[in-house]
Amino acid sequence: MSDPAVRTVDLVKQYEGGRIHALNGVSVDVARGEFFCIMGPSGSGKSTFLHLVGALDRPTSGEVWLNGRSLSSERDLDTVRAWEVGFIFQLHNLLPALTSAENVEIPMVVSKLRRRERRRRAEELLESVGLSHRRDAVAAKLSGGERQRVAIARALANSPGLILADEPTGDVDSKTGEQIMETLLAVRRQVAATLIVVTHNPRVARDADRVMEMLDGRLRSSGQL
Amino acid sequence: MLILKNLLRRKVRSALSLMGIAIGIGAIVSFNALGQGFRHALDAHMRETGAQLLIINKTVQDPAFSRVLKEEQDFVRSLPAVKNVSVGTFSIAAPRGLKVKTFMPALLVYGRTPGDPLLEKFRANIRGRLIEGEDEIMLGTVAAENLKLEPGETLELFRRTFRVVGVYESSISFERIGAILCNVVLQKELQMGDAASIVFVYLKDTAAWERVKQTVESAYPNLAAIRSEEFTLFYDQFEYIDWYVWIISLVSLMIGGLGVLNTMLMNVSERTREIGTLRAVGWSRGRVLGLILSEGTMLSIAGGLAGLGVGWAAAEGFIRSAPRDFFATRYSPELFAVAMIVALVLGLVGALYPAWQASRLSPIEALKYE
Ligand SMILES: Nc1ncnc2c1ncn2[C@@H]1O[C@H](COP(=O)(O)OP(=O)(O)O)[C@@H](O)[C@H]1O
Ligand SMILES: [Mg+2]
Repeated sequence: MSDPAVRTVDLVKQYEGGRIHALNGVSVDVARGEFFCIMGPSGSGKSTFLHLVGALDRPTSGEVWLNGRSLSSERDLDTVRAWEVGFIFQLHNLLPALTSAENVEIPMVVSKLRRRERRRRAEELLESVGLSHRRDAVAAKLSGGERQRVAIARALANSPGLILADEPTGDVDSKTGEQIMETLLAVRRQVAATLIVVTHNPRVARDADRVMEMLDGRLRSSGQL
Repeated sequence: MLILKNLLRRKVRSALSLMGIAIGIGAIVSFNALGQGFRHALDAHMRETGAQLLIINKTVQDPAFSRVLKEEQDFVRSLPAVKNVSVGTFSIAAPRGLKVKTFMPALLVYGRTPGDPLLEKFRANIRGRLIEGEDEIMLGTVAAENLKLEPGETLELFRRTFRVVGVYESSISFERIGAILCNVVLQKELQMGDAASIVFVYLKDTAAWERVKQTVESAYPNLAAIRSEEFTLFYDQFEYIDWYVWIISLVSLMIGGLGVLNTMLMNVSERTREIGTLRAVGWSRGRVLGLILSEGTMLSIAGGLAGLGVGWAAAEGFIRSAPRDFFATRYSPELFAVAMIVALVLGLVGALYPAWQASRLSPIEALKYE
């Protein structure tokens, strides 16, 4: 049980045949239940790092370990994405034609849950993000803040141990952003998940257990703490 | 839920490709229903004669050109298993030779022998009387209506003038649109000598058909003895019609298939972001593939069902607007089943490439797509 939730070892990611160095060797441990915050300028590699940790992509070299298991030995990253990680993107990425509840159900389609059970769980999750009254609204009709809260509920659908959020408040005004962060922190407390947030917002960073800064593909401790 | 909503979201595009499939399937259904209807009517005609065997000259392509010589007729008549034979002649007259204005495309002309059962059967349902002499003709009800002729009036045909002596009823459409005159007249006008077009064979024992068939066909290799229920199977020009029907159908199907392909390709490329999101929340490639394939399948099932309706409406509409009794339709469960299977395969094939493309999208590609 002493394995960290996330361990990266000398993580390197290059794009376009090595012409772009997005990550230049990132080694970091994130403890279970920790709220870990990453800041840093645009283009420094924050999203790339999150994608590798979230099993959305594979590194050029180096390794990602989740709960003591190396992702590079996993043939099938789909199941890692489905069960171990909940991802919240900068742009909510909801399916606009579906309702809030249906969007939350999408990750559960992979599970063995019956339709009715999926539905019930989706409704519970929407309640926990304060959107019970909007569960049958089509995603395209939701406000920016509502969408992001639906995205939070969706990230929690399969009860992952790790939640990753890439600038979740980047696309809304600061008041809405605050509500979103409040929601995120509240539900995280309920499920006791590890949380990694990429943000430009110093107020978000203030609540974090630890803040580090990404610069030119390298992670370093932030002086701001 | 996901499938349906995605299709409904692109109503116009889905409707267009649905129409493409519906037209293709409609072509299959309508052409085949008409072809089957024609065969069925002809089969009914031959079965109704009550003959067990039909003897024709197999060296020519069309029954109208068939010649069975007197010697051959007598040979058949003399076989011990044969109870009696009826001799028939047949031709198709072009309406432009009739000196009557009519919209009927052709007049089927049957030659029969006075006193023969094939003529006598009309006695019960005739206005006027049966033909007795060479310058007399009787018309089916529909032919009489089309030619606007009544018993007592005259009709010019084959450079001769005939007196219409009777207008007969029949349950057989090919008889209703036809005319009957004496065998000798057709034989003379078509310079057939004493040959017949077709010989109807009535057996003492029905089970003897196979033996009689072999005897006739080995004695006269130019003849074919066909069971009356297999008449349309024998004539392979119907096969050409079938081929023709299928070629037309396939062309329309190609258009339908391309419609599905186009719709699904556009759907997939527009939904790059959504599909990437599905992959990002844990959907496997297989699941994404299945999603797009089911969308194509739904589209094609809906298109197929619409196509059954379109085909039915087209065929029935055609029959209603065409001269009465010249065409008929027949819908078999097999036809509908084949049409639906074709629609399904069409949808699957059309969706296969888009689905494969969608399944290859990586979650990252979807996220950077902005
Ligand atoms: N898929 C990609 N293909 C090519 N270059 C990429 C790709 N993703 C990111 N990059 C590049 O990698 C660098 C790091 O990007 P990113 O991780 O998105 O930074 P951040 O999230 O900190 O803004 C940038 O220079 C970016 O242009
Ligand atoms: Mg970023």
